Amino acid sequence: MGGLISYFRGLLGSREMRILILGLDGAGKTTILYRLQVGEVVTTIPTIGFNVEQVTYKNLKFQVWDLGGQTSIRPYWRCYYSNTDAIIYVVDSADKDRIGISKDELLYMLREEELAGAILLVLANKQDIEGCLSVAEVHQALGLDALKNRTFQIFKTSATKGEGLDQAMDWLSNVLQSKK
Amino acid sequence: MYHLITGLYKQITRKDEYNVLILGLDNAGKSTFLETAKTRFTKNYKGMNLNYITTTVGLNIGQIEIAGIRLSFWDLGGQKELQSLWDKYYDESHAVIYVIDSNDRERMNESKELFDKMIKNEYLSGVPLLILANKQDLEDCMGVRDIKPVFQQHGHLIGRRDCLTIPTSGLTGEGVNEAIMWLVEALKRNSIVRPPKTLD
Repeated sequence: MGGLISYFRGLLGSREMRILILGLDGAGKTTILYRLQVGEVVTTIPTIGFNVEQVTYKNLKFQVWDLGGQTSIRPYWRCYYSNTDAIIYVVDSADKDRIGISKDELLYMLREEELAGAILLVLANKQDIEGCLSVAEVHQALGLDALKNRTFQIFKTSATKGEGLDQAMDWLSNVLQSKK
Repeated sequence: MYHLITGLYKQITRKDEYNVLILGLDNAGKSTFLETAKTRFTKNYKGMNLNYITTTVGLNIGQIEIAGIRLSFWDLGGQKELQSLWDKYYDESHAVIYVIDSNDRERMNESKELFDKMIKNEYLSGVPLLILANKQDLEDCMGVRDIKPVFQQHGHLIGRRDCLTIPTSGLTGEGVNEAIMWLVEALKRNSIVRPPKTLD
């Protein structure tokens, strides 16, 4: 009986998925959010606080929170962790100087109990810039091989050109759907 | 009395956990195999749409509880640039599933060389190996009879560990049950050499 009910609930479309977009300042989080929502590049300014939008992607509804990434506001990320289904972690692949900081923030974040069940999607963004890190290099620089109990995937993206986001969202919606 | 009862309770609910690594070239069908296995052995698990499974650049995990033990799978990306990440998982693995695209004759040798390189690693010595001649649903593919000799050219590298080659299809589910059942037995046999993690 329970199975039947959940089957029908599935047909009606269940609750919205809650997704956080995180990463250092200037990684491209806000650009990605609006790329997903309106399909265009919007001019952004550094986010102080957050942007939240509802994004519909292939019949799946997401509530997407884009939190500011500056050093002073990173400690507030944790206020938004509860009930999160997935984290989109955005990395500026051309910013080799700060990838170490990005790694520390990521590992620090994933230690949080509240995020234990969240799926991780890493976007190696700004791939349009020459000389940027490849996917494998980002994997290594972020120390992702230490993550052994979480499903994650890295995608190359260029938010300003709109490349790679579709594949990333396809993967995310497929994984989230199986989790429901 | 209290200790006797809690002790008994722990004994009953105790689970041994084994880590199983899924390796092979990209596009061999590793993630699809894992999804199919998860769907078959997990109650109420809907599973991903197999047609939408993309190239893995990262890690897929999965857990199956069967015959009193828990299997924890690590499915890694198989692309060339990602192969260097494999050995980070070796010392914690209890078994390896090596997946081969039986329909890809052109890359058979590449796959075999990768396999040899993997089994040479000292951290994997003694762990059971399960070789999947995958994609048997494709009409023109090579059978186990052709594939097995290729991967046994360097039989001495395999040594005395448990090793089995079976035909599978991640898409249709052919061979998936046999694969998991063999794995369970092999892991238990090898548990003296590589003891499982115990979960309370």
